[in-house]
Amino acid sequence: MPVLEVRNLKVRYAATGPQILKGVEFAVDDSDFCAVIGPSGAGKSTLIRCINRLVEPSEGEIILFGQHVCRLAGGDLRRLRRRIGMIFQEFNLVNRMSVMDNVLSGRLGYTGAWRSLFKAFPREDIERALHLLERVGLQDHVDKRADELSGGQRQRVGIARALMQQPEILLLDEPTSALDPKISRSVMALIKELAEEFKVPVLCNIHDVQLALESCNRIIGMQDGYKKFDGPSRDMRKEDLDAIYAMEVL
Amino acid sequence: MSTATAPMPDRGFDAWLAHGRSRRFKNRAILVLSLAVLAWCFHDTVMFDTDWTRMGGALGVVGTLERFLWLDWSLAPSLVVPALETLMMATLGTLLGCVLSLPVAWFGAANVTPSRYVFYPLGRFLMVLSRSIHEIIWALLFVGAVGLGALPGILAVAMRSIGFISKITAEAIENIDPKPVEAIRAVGGNQFQVMYYGIVPQILPVIIGTIIFEWDINIRRSAIMGLVGAGGLGLVFFRQMAMFNYGGVTLVVLAVLVLIAFGEVVSHYARKAVI
Repeated sequence: MPVLEVRNLKVRYAATGPQILKGVEFAVDDSDFCAVIGPSGAGKSTLIRCINRLVEPSEGEIILFGQHVCRLAGGDLRRLRRRIGMIFQEFNLVNRMSVMDNVLSGRLGYTGAWRSLFKAFPREDIERALHLLERVGLQDHVDKRADELSGGQRQRVGIARALMQQPEILLLDEPTSALDPKISRSVMALIKELAEEFKVPVLCNIHDVQLALESCNRIIGMQDGYKKFDGPSRDMRKEDLDAIYAMEVL
Repeated sequence: MSTATAPMPDRGFDAWLAHGRSRRFKNRAILVLSLAVLAWCFHDTVMFDTDWTRMGGALGVVGTLERFLWLDWSLAPSLVVPALETLMMATLGTLLGCVLSLPVAWFGAANVTPSRYVFYPLGRFLMVLSRSIHEIIWALLFVGAVGLGALPGILAVAMRSIGFISKITAEAIENIDPKPVEAIRAVGGNQFQVMYYGIVPQILPVIIGTIIFEWDINIRRSAIMGLVGAGGLGLVFFRQMAMFNYGGVTLVVLAVLVLIAFGEVVSHYARKAVI
């Protein structure tokens, strides 16, 4: 069962600017851990950001949980976004807020104005946040400020924040690019473990081909705005990789 | 010889000499012209505009200044209440200014303004308006509007504070890191939550520092509000001057000095605490 279907997706940032995505089509299954690989400038980040409309597609359709994402606006869009967890390359935490507040902010889509104003989250949210922080191994850093943590720890906060939403799909935008190779692998393993535990499908941009082949069951290869490969990671051959990375776009 | 500004027009020694001569002549002409303008200003404002007979020679000047040195300590007890009033005027004026600055900063920050063509120019205009009108003029307007007392002073101080606080705040908003903002949008946060969770924590230290600084400045402003009838130490100053009690005038000036030194010390430690 596909949770996400993308049809003929095209993106141009400015009316006269270059086309970043040139008609991409694919579907993500509810059991997929799907990697999007490709050289810099291929449109991987743009693709991921279209799905929760942080970037506006200029043409095409995105169907997520049976809803046409591009036709939503205002409150409907926000209600859809809270079902999508996102983990970012540079963690995107609020540095001056505590780890706990950062994790709780994942719940904002479900929190009313007065509760947000006084940061008075319901008891079950706080319990869930504490539980998730324990799951990602940060139980001793709950009240620290986010900027006191190391890179790997910060990304764990990002993971906990995304899971706070009880997401039905996870979008990962280069979740390990800002980390060293060893930490990258442990963070990726943690995401995989949690995604399986909570039964969340994952769509993941990733630079590191080796890591993608190790941790994902499916690969989408992008090059210069086109999809060049789509299939199970075990079917990926060296020729396919060479084709994807044949042309570097700067 | 510097040829960077004016390249040598011709070859040979004579040409070089002629070129130097013409440049020296030009420089001298500019100097003479400047001195002439200066002399004209001095003549019209100082020579012509001053009541020389009333000044009465060098001894007269010293004698008049000397009258300010005999402090009138009997005035001291009656300065306590106006001094406190000045402090309160500064504090309330700053707080009111902060509240009024919120919408102005929101309108005037290019990345969060509700409308780039209506509210952004409006916000920027309000910032300029607040700063381009002197606090004494604001006070005169409010004394006319709400009558004598501390209230017009508070309003004047608040109006004058908007410009600085909202400008610094708007600039801080424009310089934030957009990444946490993107994250709050991605979890489904609304406009208010994006600002409160994504933007406010980032700009808070700048804003608090600015508010403390503005409070420090507002003590100075409040101290002169009384000159136009808006309460505080300025009013005592004005009365002492009107009674030709020069010793009292000096004492008021000293009181202002103490108050400002107090504000300086408090704001120094307060700012250290937040940064």
